[in-house]
Parts: sequence; structure tokens; C-alpha cells
Amino acid sequence: MYFVPRRKISEYRAKTIINSLFGYEYEGWAVLDGKVPKEVAGKSFVVKVDQAIKQRFKRGLIFLDVPKKDLAQKVSELQEKGFESILIEPYLLHGGSDERYISLRREREGIVVSFSRSGGVEIESHSDSIQSGVFESFAIRQLSEETGFTEEQLLVLRKAFDDLYLSLLEVNPYLVKDGQLKILDVAIEVDSSAQLLVDSWGDTDVRTPAASLTEQELYVRSLNEESPASFSLEVINPDGGIFLLLSGGGASVVIADEIFTLGNGDELANYGEYSGNPTEEETYRYTSQVLRLLLNSKAKKKVALIGGAVANFTDIAATFSGIITALYEHRDELAKQKVKFYVRRGGPRQAQGLKKIKRALQDLDILGGVYDPSVTIPEAVNNLVKGLK
Amino acid sequence: MDINGLRNGDAKIIIQGMHPDVIQSILDYDFLLGRKQPSVVGVVARGRKKERFHWGSFEVEVPLYSALADVPHGVLKATTAVVNVQSARNVKLSVTEAIELLPKLQILSIFAENVPELHAIELIALAKQNNILVAGPSSVGVLLPGYLKLGAIGGTMYEQLIDARINAPGDVAVVTTSGGMVNELIRVVTGRGRGVSFAIAMGGDRFPILDPVDALLLAEGDPQTKEIVYFGELGGTDEYRIVELIKEGRLTKRLMVYIAGVVAELFATPPQFGHAKALAQNHNETAGAKKDALRLAGAEVFDRFDGIAAAIKASPLEEVEPVDDAIKFRRKSYFMSHISGEVDGNVNLLGRDLLQTVQENSIASLALSVLLGYQVRSKKLIDFTDLVIKLLVDHSPNVSGAVNTMIAARAGKDLVSSLVAGLLTIGPRFGGAVNDSARAWLDGAQGDLTPKQFVDAMSRKDGVVPGIGHKKYRLDNPDPRVEALAAHVPDGQSTYLDFARSVELITTSKKSNLILNVDGAIAAIMMDLLTKELKYTPEQLRELVDVEFFNSLFVISRTIGFTGHYLDQRRNDEGLFRLDSSDLKYFPED
Repeated sequence: MYFVPRRKISEYRAKTIINSLFGYEYEGWAVLDGKVPKEVAGKSFVVKVDQAIKQRFKRGLIFLDVPKKDLAQKVSELQEKGFESILIEPYLLHGGSDERYISLRREREGIVVSFSRSGGVEIESHSDSIQSGVFESFAIRQLSEETGFTEEQLLVLRKAFDDLYLSLLEVNPYLVKDGQLKILDVAIEVDSSAQLLVDSWGDTDVRTPAASLTEQELYVRSLNEESPASFSLEVINPDGGIFLLLSGGGASVVIADEIFTLGNGDELANYGEYSGNPTEEETYRYTSQVLRLLLNSKAKKKVALIGGAVANFTDIAATFSGIITALYEHRDELAKQKVKFYVRRGGPRQAQGLKKIKRALQDLDILGGVYDPSVTIPEAVNNLVKGLK
Repeated sequence: MDINGLRNGDAKIIIQGMHPDVIQSILDYDFLLGRKQPSVVGVVARGRKKERFHWGSFEVEVPLYSALADVPHGVLKATTAVVNVQSARNVKLSVTEAIELLPKLQILSIFAENVPELHAIELIALAKQNNILVAGPSSVGVLLPGYLKLGAIGGTMYEQLIDARINAPGDVAVVTTSGGMVNELIRVVTGRGRGVSFAIAMGGDRFPILDPVDALLLAEGDPQTKEIVYFGELGGTDEYRIVELIKEGRLTKRLMVYIAGVVAELFATPPQFGHAKALAQNHNETAGAKKDALRLAGAEVFDRFDGIAAAIKASPLEEVEPVDDAIKFRRKSYFMSHISGEVDGNVNLLGRDLLQTVQENSIASLALSVLLGYQVRSKKLIDFTDLVIKLLVDHSPNVSGAVNTMIAARAGKDLVSSLVAGLLTIGPRFGGAVNDSARAWLDGAQGDLTPKQFVDAMSRKDGVVPGIGHKKYRLDNPDPRVEALAAHVPDGQSTYLDFARSVELITTSKKSNLILNVDGAIAAIMMDLLTKELKYTPEQLRELVDVEFFNSLFVISRTIGFTGHYLDQRRNDEGLFRLDSSDLKYFPED
């Protein structure tokens, strides 16, 4: 499965985690099904989208000082904008000047702690006020004085950062009053590769910014999740003329770069790759999605590149078999649209694989060119781009 | 940590986990280099004891161990390199174990993707502390042409290794974040008629254990390396540390660079490419900004991938030899045999021509050699085997196995059917006790229990101690066969017989016929002789127990007896045997 390892979790889960670390009760209610929970108690509330989205204030995705009777209406307003994950909290008034900021983030040299007395949503414009350094490089007493966290709280935070496999923890803002912490907002990025090692968060807590994904992108995401191999697909320009069916995390970027550097970036319809020796069936399913994008494009001329570097262990013949099956399934439309396919690939069983795909492309009358590693990646891309003209 | 150190002597590699293609490719590389033996000395994987791999057009065995700690001490001490193909969540534990158990470990590569960041960070410290080069996670390995192929790097098919022209070392180092591109770049270099000094795939994770700065410093410090090709990607800020290295004069060799990811400009939001680190969160992390910084520092940075090839000064390209058909069409055989087989159309037995072997062996020495799988020359062991085989030939036709053979014979069945009827009787209550006794004495003599505790435990479990007890013989009427066997105990090695005797001392104090019987004595003395004469370790004896070697002696010997009883019955020709009604008591249901 292909991971974006660092994933944001919901504000609700992040706040639950951080409050329980300090023995505080977190008052907040997650709304996932559009229903305001019965337990919601109080007079005035904040209603906000909880979906890893930045600049919620600017985008009108936070409602302040909402009376209880209006909660259902505000929730449905946010739902209508296409958001599923919503958070309700009690509304608290405080002066903006006493807001503080602290963050922990995992770096190669250790856990870097950053803090400032000028916290809040505008923290980036106060970047001069932020002090930073590896956690252990500060005397704990100094850190406590600077942040208002007790020494014990800081150590608890530091330990939880490792125990919970966090990658980023940002408490911004928080208030310190009479020695008491008041945590107003928290953002957490977890290391999703540690999911099986942790109880406090799980995959249902992960939030992805709600980009509008195409049907094909969604399909590839779920294919990726169910397979031990990796698949990714991003649509750049749905009406582009250059389609990519690439393999390998490094080579796929090089090929896309070459197209971009040649000045044909605006023709590029998609980026994506498969790797980790997928099965024939999985390659077939992946190819079908790319072909659907290709056939839907309004571009007049269309070319596609099936390619990659010289694989170390991916079986070229097997993965090409899956691609060929998908090509045959769309043979009529591909021929009608006069699509030309170019292939450049090396690796285990490359001779069989290249021979097979060349025969298929000839048979389907969509052959642009088939190249083994004696033809370089840029040479193959040059030919591909020429095929557009 | 330096590269040149890896060129001293042949590497000894352990593979943590089973990845047959990767292992085969390392063996193929060894073979291509003309090595006499594979560099892979063991594989840590459960399930079997050995795995066969191709060795050119022949085959070799590679030993498997269920845990790294089970690898023989001598092998652990000699191991210099590890390929770790464990699952992501076992990486930290298994790499830590490798570093702890392998005193000569110099280099290790980690194949898994999705290793937790925290684990990677912890391994960075451990690797540094122990001065070990650790490539990965998500690395396809490290290649030192002419010396070492550690992982899938360079390819997993014999033909790929030939095509890649990586037999001989050169002077261009290849350092990449990408597994596919390391292979591509090796070919770019060798395609120019030049050689690679070493190539490393660091993996595309956020925290590679060996990072680009480490890798480039290795290249700088390597006397064989004159030029460096570096492939990086957008995301992260390692390239600015490389800029610092150049400015400080710590990286002086020619540096050719390709940074992938300029295409990210096309995307509305910063895209995450195939590798974990390949995401530019700010301008500094974009491919363009990093390229500019490196260019400014004096590195040769290429916008198109072809630029690298063009920049490498070409040398004449030598013809590669085509792959031998015997290797091209090789396939694994279905069985392997250590005992005999055909060599050039003649049958060999125990390593020599059949007739020659036969003429130099007595029946006992041939039998023991075939059972153990190699030619045994110890006179003491052969004499003992001779006695055992003779002693076990027959123990009167009254015993159950012989009775079955006789009944089958009288029913008109043929030789093999009648013999098999007898042999199939051999089991836990008849004739199968030699192996059980061997297991008992081995457990007892190598365990922590006193003979008393051992007897208590055995009687609690099964009610009996195998190898103890006889219907007829007792303390005051000892079994003369046991006395005859005991005369063969080797001087100075009687661990197993001593243990058996101490057990007997306890059991006979309870009941006088609970004496050491023939089965128990054979097992104990055979183990003592194997230990003294052929230097068997307890682990090797355990293997003999597991494969039922000790029962095989009984089976072979008693086959003679059963066959005799069959022939005897046929000659007697008394017709079908049937029990009389008085021989079987009928208890009808009420």
C-alpha cells in the first residue's frame, strides 16, 4: 500500500488526546452523521469543519457564538458545502493578547520544540517571536518558564510524542491563567506507518483535505489501500493530450519532469505510478482507470507513455499482461481516437514483456514506439511529444 | 564507516527474511565474479532447514535458520553484511538484533517501506554508534561492482546483471533516493564505457538512515571514486547541507546532479509524489530552488536527464558475452540427494563410483553411511552398527510385527505385501522406541532437570520412560544384549549412557524390571559414539531424532527377520490362518 506517511488527524481526536495527557476533560462533540449529539450542553457554541482544512475563518467554515437552538442549522449549512466531519465546542471569550503557541515536530536531529507568546491564527506573521530548538537542548525549567507549561506537563508531552508516534503537534493558541492551561486549538500529524502500534488514534481519525477527486482518482485510492503494491493517480488537466502510465516513485517524476521541461506541461493530463511488483489483475485495474481518463479527454491528439526505469525486481512481463488486457478492452475507442502508445521500460523479463506489448500495440493499431533501456528516458519522451504533432 | 573497507576480502552476507529473487541475484553476482562460494552464508526464515538456489547452471544449498540467534556462532562472528527484508514493523527489532549479534557487521540494507519515522530515527543513532553503514528504509541496496551486491540493486535476473556491465569496478559513484533510478543511473554510467565505484539507493523516506550528506562524504572519502552522480528529489532540505559541504571544501570531487520534481509547478496544491519525502512544503523544498542552490555552489546540475550521460566522458564500450544457454534455460531440480546420483552417466554412491564404494564397505558401514548421508570411516561406529543390526534382526516370530507378516503370508499374499504388513506394525508400542529413547536421553542430558525430576516429569506426561522396562529381564536377571552393547561405549564420552543409567537407577528402585532395555541402550550408546567419533553436536543429534534416524536401524534390521518369517511360512504352506472361537471372546451387547 502506498502511504503518505504523515497524516493529519481530526481536531476532535487531537484535542481529546492532548487534554487527556494533562488529566483535563475535553469538552467537544464530533459530528459525523449530521446529527447534533444529545449530550451537547451549554449556552453558546462554536461550530466548525474538522477536515484538515486551513484558513477556516477566511473561508467561512467556522461559526462563533451559536446558540443551542441554531446548532442543527449550522451543521447542515456546513454539510451542504460538502463537509462530513464537523466539530461542536463550547464558545469561550478571551482576550487575543494572551494567546500562546507551542509546537513539537520530528526532525532528523531530534524533536524540535518551537514556542511563542504571540500565538493565534496570525502566528506566521509573528515568526520573529518564535524560539526553536531540539527539545533536549533547553533546560526544562527554562522551557517551563517560557511556555507556561509545568515541567511535568512538558515531559508528559515529550514522552507522548514518541509513544503515540506523532510527527507534528501544534498547540495554537493556548492560554495560561492562574497556573491553569486552557487549550484552544490543537493540530496533530501522525506517522500513519505506525498505525498498528498505537491505540490512541486510528485510520478513522485521519482527515484529508476535501479536494474534489475524480471517480478515477477515488478508484485508484481504494485500489492502493487494498493492495500490498502501490498505486497513485492525480489528474492535472482532464483535457490534456499526454497520458502517463508509469512505474516507480523516482522514474515517474523524471518522466513527468522531462515533459514539463520540454515545454509540454500544459498538455500533461495526469501523474501517477504503480510500483512494488503489483499483480497482473491489479495492473489491469489501474490501467483501466487511466484509459478512461484518456478516452474522456477532449484533446484532439492523444499520446500515452507506458514506462519507467530499469526495474530491480518488478516482473515486466506480468505487469504488461495486465496493461494489454485493459488495452484490448477499449480497442475500438482507442483506435477511433487514434491514440498512440509509447513504451520505455527495463527490468526482469523485459524482453518477453516488450515483445508482447509491441505485438499488442501493432495489432490494435495504436503503436507509437517500444523501447528497451538502450533508449534513454529523454529520448523516449522526445518521441512521445513528437507524436502529439 | 568507509567504502574502501568493504573491498577487503569477500563479504559474508546474512539475509533477514526470505526474498528468493534477491538472494538468487546475489548468488548470480557471486558466480559472475568467479567466486568459489556464495557470499550468502545464511537466511533467517522459518519453515525449512535449507533452500536451494542456482549457482550458474548448477545448484547450491543455503542454510535457513528460524532466528538470527540460531545461526552457528562461527557464522555470526564472520558475517560482514546483512540484507533486511523483514516487514516494516519488524525492521527496528531485527536490525537492532543484527547489530547486536554480528560483531563484524559493516553494512546493512533495509528493503521495507513504511517503517515508522521514530524507528528510523532510533536506528540512525544505533548505526552511528556502531559505525555501520545502514542503507534504507525502502532501499533496493548497495552495489560495489566487483565486490558486493547487497540487495536487489542491479537487477534480479541473470541477464540484467550481464546487461548492466557491473562486473568490474570503475570510478563513478551513484547516489540516489530512488530504487528504480539507481539502476537507471548505473546503466547510464556503464553505457558510457565507464565503471561504477559504488552505488547506493538511500530510499525515499523522510529519515533515511544513511542520508545524502553521509553518502556523498563516503564518496569523497573513497579513493576509487573520482566523480559522483547524485539523484535527489523535491522535498526536504538535504541539498542545502550538500551546498554547505561544497562551500566548506569537504566535498571536492566532481558532482553531477539531477533533482526530480520540477513538474510539481503544474499542480494546484503541492503534490505528494511516490516517495514519502517527495513533497515540497515551501519554496526551499522545491526542485527548482534546490537546483539553483547547488548550481550556485558549483555542482553540475542538469535540467534534462540526458545531461548526465553527456557529461560523463565516454570510454570504448566492450562487447558483453552472451549468457550461456545452460544458465538461460536453467530450472530448479525437483529433488536433491547427498547420497548418490548420476555423474557423466555413471552412478556414484557416497561420492565415488558405485563399485568402488561397495568394495570398500562392509554391509554395516554401507548402511550407516547411507543413513547418515556420507561415507563413515569410524571403525568403532561401524562395529557398533554391525552389532545393532545383528541384534535386531529377529526376536522370535511371537512379536506382533512378525505375526502380521506370517498371517499375510498364509493368506497367500506376496513378499512385499507380507513384509509391509509387518513393517506397518512398527510404531510407539512395537519397535519404535529407539527414536523415542534417543529423544528422551537428549532432552535429559542437555536439560536442567535432575534424573529424578526427569523421571517424574516423564511419568506424569506419558506414564512411561522410553528405553526403560522389559517383560522378562530384571535387575537380578539382566538383559545380556544390553551388556554386549554397553561394551561399545567410547572412552571418555558417555554422557547419554550415563544419563540413561542414572534414570535406570531411579526406575529400578521402584520396580525391578524397569531396567534399561535394548532400545534405550542402542539410542544412548549410538549418540555417545556419534559425539565422540563424528563430533556430532546436540543440535545435530536433535536433527537425527527429528528425521527418525534411530528407528531406521530397527526397520532395516527387522526387514531381514520379517522376510525370513515370510519365506518360512510360504515353505510351510499351511493355508489361511483363522482364529478359533476360543481365541476371541465375544461380549455381546445386552
